[in-house]
Amino acid sequence: MTVEDVMRTDHGPALMLSNEAVVRGALESDVKVVSFYPGSPVSEILDTFGEVLDHFGDYKMEIAANEKVALETVAGASMAGVRSFTSMKSVGMNVASDSMFSMGYTGLNAGCVCLIADDPFAHSSQSEQDGRYFGEVAYVPMIEPSNAQEAHDMVRWAFEVSERHKTLVIMRTTTRVNHSRGMVKLGDLKRTPFERKSWADVKGQYFTVGSVARALKAKLLEKKAALQKEFEKTKFNFIDEGKGTTGVITAGVCYLHTKEAMRNLEAELPVLKIGTLFPLPEEKIADFLKRLDKVIIVEELTPYLETRITAIAKEANPTIEIIGKKSGHFSEMLEYNVPIVEKVLSDVTGSEISLDYDAILTRAEELAEVLSNRVPIFCPGCPHRGTLWAFRQALNRLKIRDKIVFNNDIGCYSMAFLPPNEFSDSMLAMGASLGLSAGMNLVLEDKVIAMVGDSTLYHAALPGIVNLIHHNSNVTLFVLDNSVTAMTGQQFNPNSEFNAGGHPARKINMEKFFEALGAAKIAIIDPYETRDCIQPIIDAIQIEGLSVIISKRDCALYGDRLKKRLGEKIVPSENVKDTCRSIYACVKEFYCPAILVDEDDRKMKIQQDLCDGCLECRQVCPVDAPRHIER
Amino acid sequence: MSGTFNIMFCGVGGQGLMLLSSILGKAAVDAGLEVMTGEQHGLSQRQGSIYVHFRIGEPISPLIAYGKADMMIAMEASETLRYIEYLKDGGVVIMSNRIMPSVSETEKVALDKTGKTKYLTIEQIVDKLKMVTDNIVLLDSLELALQAGNAKTENSVLVGAALACPDFPIPTEKVREAVLALVPEKTIDANSRAFDLGLEAGGTCLGT
Ligand SMILES: Cc1ncc(C[n+]2csc(CCOP(=O)(O)OP(=O)(O)O)c2C)c(N)n1
Repeated sequence: MTVEDVMRTDHGPALMLSNEAVVRGALESDVKVVSFYPGSPVSEILDTFGEVLDHFGDYKMEIAANEKVALETVAGASMAGVRSFTSMKSVGMNVASDSMFSMGYTGLNAGCVCLIADDPFAHSSQSEQDGRYFGEVAYVPMIEPSNAQEAHDMVRWAFEVSERHKTLVIMRTTTRVNHSRGMVKLGDLKRTPFERKSWADVKGQYFTVGSVARALKAKLLEKKAALQKEFEKTKFNFIDEGKGTTGVITAGVCYLHTKEAMRNLEAELPVLKIGTLFPLPEEKIADFLKRLDKVIIVEELTPYLETRITAIAKEANPTIEIIGKKSGHFSEMLEYNVPIVEKVLSDVTGSEISLDYDAILTRAEELAEVLSNRVPIFCPGCPHRGTLWAFRQALNRLKIRDKIVFNNDIGCYSMAFLPPNEFSDSMLAMGASLGLSAGMNLVLEDKVIAMVGDSTLYHAALPGIVNLIHHNSNVTLFVLDNSVTAMTGQQFNPNSEFNAGGHPARKINMEKFFEALGAAKIAIIDPYETRDCIQPIIDAIQIEGLSVIISKRDCALYGDRLKKRLGEKIVPSENVKDTCRSIYACVKEFYCPAILVDEDDRKMKIQQDLCDGCLECRQVCPVDAPRHIER
Repeated sequence: MSGTFNIMFCGVGGQGLMLLSSILGKAAVDAGLEVMTGEQHGLSQRQGSIYVHFRIGEPISPLIAYGKADMMIAMEASETLRYIEYLKDGGVVIMSNRIMPSVSETEKVALDKTGKTKYLTIEQIVDKLKMVTDNIVLLDSLELALQAGNAKTENSVLVGAALACPDFPIPTEKVREAVLALVPEKTIDANSRAFDLGLEAGGTCLGT
């Protein structure tokens, strides 16, 4: 239940987050190199490996600049003869996939496993991207667990499959699985010391182009056939026997929703649980279909299984009725849960639903009407709040609020899209603001402004920046230098003095780097000196070429942790009844959650346990009302 | 125990909900019970709405179905309504009286020059909850924590109060042990007192 469980030497059972169970499974597999770029819902995998790094001391870990580098790092380690592991969020594989496709062809050496986590409902992602197709298009085996125990067991198995077939193995999860805890029976934790290898002992050829690629493709098809044969027999594709000729095929967390829905309905349908998404156990599926006259396919997002099962049914059982998305029973949108699955099973089997879920939802909606939305906002003390405020003031003073286009990027600052800022004309994917700016700058008469965080800068913005400077494009770029990758949990990045496990690392010098590239102007601002930021922003916006505004201040959550470690106190702002004039700039323009309005005297009231003492609000206040508590 | 006991935890990011669920998780496992959770980790900013589906006994899915939570434990009062679809009719609500208004609510209050727009009150929330259940344990958890000697022991107050519920499946002593094992060492005494104060207050409310 805590990181302690990852280090236990007994066999549990331990209550573990699936993400922790994955780490444990990889450690039991004697993994030797891990590399990650953070992203929800897999950040805890990175964080946990970091926390136990010094405890084990027998594996190497890096927080990589991006997912492509992370995947290449672990592939390189596999080629060099040691087991390796990475994980990334759904869209991370888009970045990594260029190399991943080639890896399919070349194959790898020591066990190499990559976890990708999709996010139905887009809880914390740009899209509900369905990553299950990656396995099939790249000819890389893909497996999917449904709970913590399976996540643990499947990682161990994945290392074996990877080594047996000399291939990368992808384990696909969804947010609901990553962020679920369950009981896990642990395996032996047999670690071996880290040893350097000699290339002569491990070497292979990892090269693909033209005729080599064609030869490799032929071998790849053989590999696929061999994997398929093995997957027909694996225990991770299994049937829960039941009664009747209506059955269910499902995978991942939907298997759990299905089983619980069946318990609620007291239904005993046979269920085929798919653990290998690619290659699918086609024979097992065909045999299962032959016993049925109706099959219900329960899967979130696209009809990945449904389409393939429909194709299998064409030969195995052409008259079978298929209940799924095409039949209109299930949606391609959002996340599923027990009520959603129970309703369909009840419809199809005629068993009575265990509770009137719709009535409950309707009543709940009415009861919750009095609530106002908790839209995501910046934390108390967040430097982004000040930067964006100053940015808005600069635009107002220049009277160009309607004559700019603002391409936002991915990080906490994406929230500029929400009140009280409510401006951002685009936000697609990490680093995309630069390329979009290039295109808009070619066409628009407006000033083009882009914004990236430090992590995004080094993740995918560099080529776009080089491109802008090379083409003498007229763009102003904000770089929000808060020392860490804040949004995903304040992990270190190339702009930090530390890396995995808190070990020292070299911080890349951002100013020198922009200087060397030939940026037209580099302005450095401190968002806590909020008013003083306005003029430099005005100046930068008016310059031709690529002007860069670097806003420097530690992420507040990270900064607070550093303070705590140093024994420094956070001194909140006082409740300033004497100076507050009820102007409410701190409310309207700033949205700091520490600030309330006192209903009696209508002055600002600062929630002492929330206030971070940054005093950005004093800078925003026309009469300088807020001030630190005197101690 | 037989069957499954479902608890819906809710609160606001930064309140320590995860510690709360870790405490009950440890207690349940130490008592030999099976646990499964479905958690909202979300992004790391403070002040967002967060929840944990916490299931003891024979859970299969990580998510509690609507209308099937036996208990709700809320570190922030208004969040009880945000997740009310999960509570069964007559289920137990253990809630702090702390309300953390959202910034948009503060803006509405500030901008209404007539002063008529008010923040949502505890009474309004409890009135709504009563449409679903009468078993409401409303705690001044901060006051009790201060009585216990440390403002940061609110979690223990709430956990203690949950134990006053007669069909709570984890033995009291196991929960107390888990609380004391997982809180920072310096605060063990205060947390132990907070736990007892919560237990007592919960008992008074539920008449147990
Ligand atoms: C390809 C990809 N990888 C990872 C993520 C997850 N992610 C969302 S925000 C973010 C942090 C960006 O950090 P930074 O730009 O420094 O901004 P900050 O949050 O620190 O303000 C990450 C890694 C993503 N959306 N896309």
